[in-house]
Amino acid sequence: MRLHDDEQEAEFRKNLLVWLREHLPPAPEVGTRRWTPEQLRAWNRTLWAGGYAGLAWPVAYGGRGAPPAIQEIFVAESARAGAPDHANLVGLNMVGPTVIRHGTAAQRDTYLPGILRGDTLFCQGFSEPEAGSDLAAIRTRAIPAPDGGYRITGEKVWSSYADSADACMLLARTSGSAGRHDGLTCFLVDMSTPGVTVQPLRRISGDAAFSRITLTDVAVPESAAVGPVDGGWRVAMTTLAHERGTLAVTLVARLAVQFDRLRRTVVAAGVDRDRSVREQVAALYVEVEALRCTAHRAVASAQGGDPAPEATVLKLRWSEVDQRVCALGFEVAAPRSPWRAHWERELLCSRTSTIEGGTSEILRGIVAERVLGLPRSR
Amino acid sequence: MDLTLTRDQLDLREAARRFLRAACSPATVAVLADNGGWASGTWPELIRQGWVDPELSAVELTLLAGELGYALLPVPWWTTVGLALPAYHAAGESPPGPATMVDGQGGGATVPAASRDSGGWRIDGVASAVDAAPATEFVVVAVADGEVALFAVPAGPTGPVCAPAEGIDPLRVVSDLTFDGTRARLLAGPPDAAGLLARIRDRAAVLLAAEAVGVAERALEFAVEHAKVRTQFGRPIGSYQAVSHRLAECYADVELARSLVWRAAAAHDGPAGGPADATASAVVAARRAAVLTCEAAVGVFGAMGVTWEFPVHWWYRRALSTGGSKESLAAIADVVFAGEAR
Repeated sequence: MRLHDDEQEAEFRKNLLVWLREHLPPAPEVGTRRWTPEQLRAWNRTLWAGGYAGLAWPVAYGGRGAPPAIQEIFVAESARAGAPDHANLVGLNMVGPTVIRHGTAAQRDTYLPGILRGDTLFCQGFSEPEAGSDLAAIRTRAIPAPDGGYRITGEKVWSSYADSADACMLLARTSGSAGRHDGLTCFLVDMSTPGVTVQPLRRISGDAAFSRITLTDVAVPESAAVGPVDGGWRVAMTTLAHERGTLAVTLVARLAVQFDRLRRTVVAAGVDRDRSVREQVAALYVEVEALRCTAHRAVASAQGGDPAPEATVLKLRWSEVDQRVCALGFEVAAPRSPWRAHWERELLCSRTSTIEGGTSEILRGIVAERVLGLPRSR
Repeated sequence: MDLTLTRDQLDLREAARRFLRAACSPATVAVLADNGGWASGTWPELIRQGWVDPELSAVELTLLAGELGYALLPVPWWTTVGLALPAYHAAGESPPGPATMVDGQGGGATVPAASRDSGGWRIDGVASAVDAAPATEFVVVAVADGEVALFAVPAGPTGPVCAPAEGIDPLRVVSDLTFDGTRARLLAGPPDAAGLLARIRDRAAVLLAAEAVGVAERALEFAVEHAKVRTQFGRPIGSYQAVSHRLAECYADVELARSLVWRAAAAHDGPAGGPADATASAVVAARRAAVLTCEAAVGVFGAMGVTWEFPVHWWYRRALSTGGSKESLAAIADVVFAGEAR
């Protein structure tokens, strides 16, 4: 065990820091920079050109096959330098690994290079108005078309990045009845296909960070199915395992930067000698560091495979610490403080954290049943 | 960063668990706790298995400490290896037997002080709440009034007078030691002793944090085993989310604390200049995990959990006896606001 960088890590970090300085504008003193969709796409291409896209992906699929420590350095330093989320967060962290695991050679060839380059932005079409935590309840249907392929009809909600996405990984029912895990199939759908419409939904913070996707008789070829027809549940579980495991490394890195903003807010508000504030900040610091180290362990133990159910605690605890950091920032930032607007928005947004990608209640259930081996609750 | 255990380290932990499972069942723990006894018969076996090997890294010691917390075997291992061994090691020696340490810093006017007369060094004063003293043969005395120095004193008739002190955990025996002209031998003096003592305190705190994670792990196992088989309203209680979700949170607490313990141990083993908060963060998280998990376990066992006969309270007592959270949080805040945190 070691905490310091080894030679390879130190070299990678040094080059990355230089590269980030050359390619990013300095992070603002207060708050965070807002990026337009065009700027985000441009950043994707910059990352690709710099060789920093798909660090975690296997070399055979265009990635760098980098060890966990290198990925962590990348996400940590990028977040610290004020780099935006990769606009293709869903593609890189969730769809890519799923296509690598379950897709055909043709699907890998079609989608992976575009995801890496940042040309093919992905969104996810899992949740529906009647299928949130109970994902098997989805009603979107994919019906075999007489001329081959499928016709998909249904409604998907809470889909992040859908308004700018080029493609969607969605789950639809190909047989059986709502509520059953079998009979679902996972599809990769081109968002420009006739019958796909996207309507942005405003979040409680006021921004349009997710959307409703309406699918009306959308024609997709047979080759759009990822993994076995009627076997989409397992495919979706791979995607979700990555959402709660792999993605957590990025979330935790961003939380560490958010924590630093909290520290600066406390200092700016002049309450950094207040005993109660100091104690709360210290307790949050402990949680952030624990998450960082646990994320490292989770990625290291998942090498070459998918995240284990144990990694679920990352998403569970990240979301709660995120909310507590935002709540304290909001409490500490005085109404006229330059930090106020930042924490107002972040606090409201942070309520999403314990809901998206599996609610805390669902995640506790996964830990209870799949890690602790407790009997099923339903 | 690399927080993975090597094959050898995994084997070390596995061997320790196997040995302790055979040597120390929960029923044994209860008997020893009731009789204030020591598992003295296991000490030679621990030595034979290399538990006091001075070459063990902090990471490896945390693995052993965790297993001791898991099994709750009452042996003076932490005081010997965590406290006394580095002092002897600095003098080029090994502890000649089970030992403990008196840390004079921060005490009142009566803390043991060293002086020199024609017969050599002598120690006078009273040390309170010294760990494991009745089970040890030697006492290291860290004197910190003015310059720091570490002395060795034999326990027994020529050593300090040992009086039992009150403590919540009968398996962690604490005593008050009265030194009255007790003859002592210098192990480490200025200028090295101050740095040595700081490192001893730091590493010993990491080991207690590791032990607390082991305590939490055992309490969680007790609770999970029970929740699987205890039936109420026609179903195992572990199928009720009120129970299972609480235990899932405990699991998260245990694993997050474990990460911080490893981080602290790796910081201790690594080059100087590691994260300044490492030990304090591990202490806060581990104590919290131990107390919360033991409380959850007592709750899951229901009325059985609050009986003297049922052994889970021995683990709860150990969790409660592990202190240092308040001071650690203050230390972490100092680090965070000094801009040193990372």
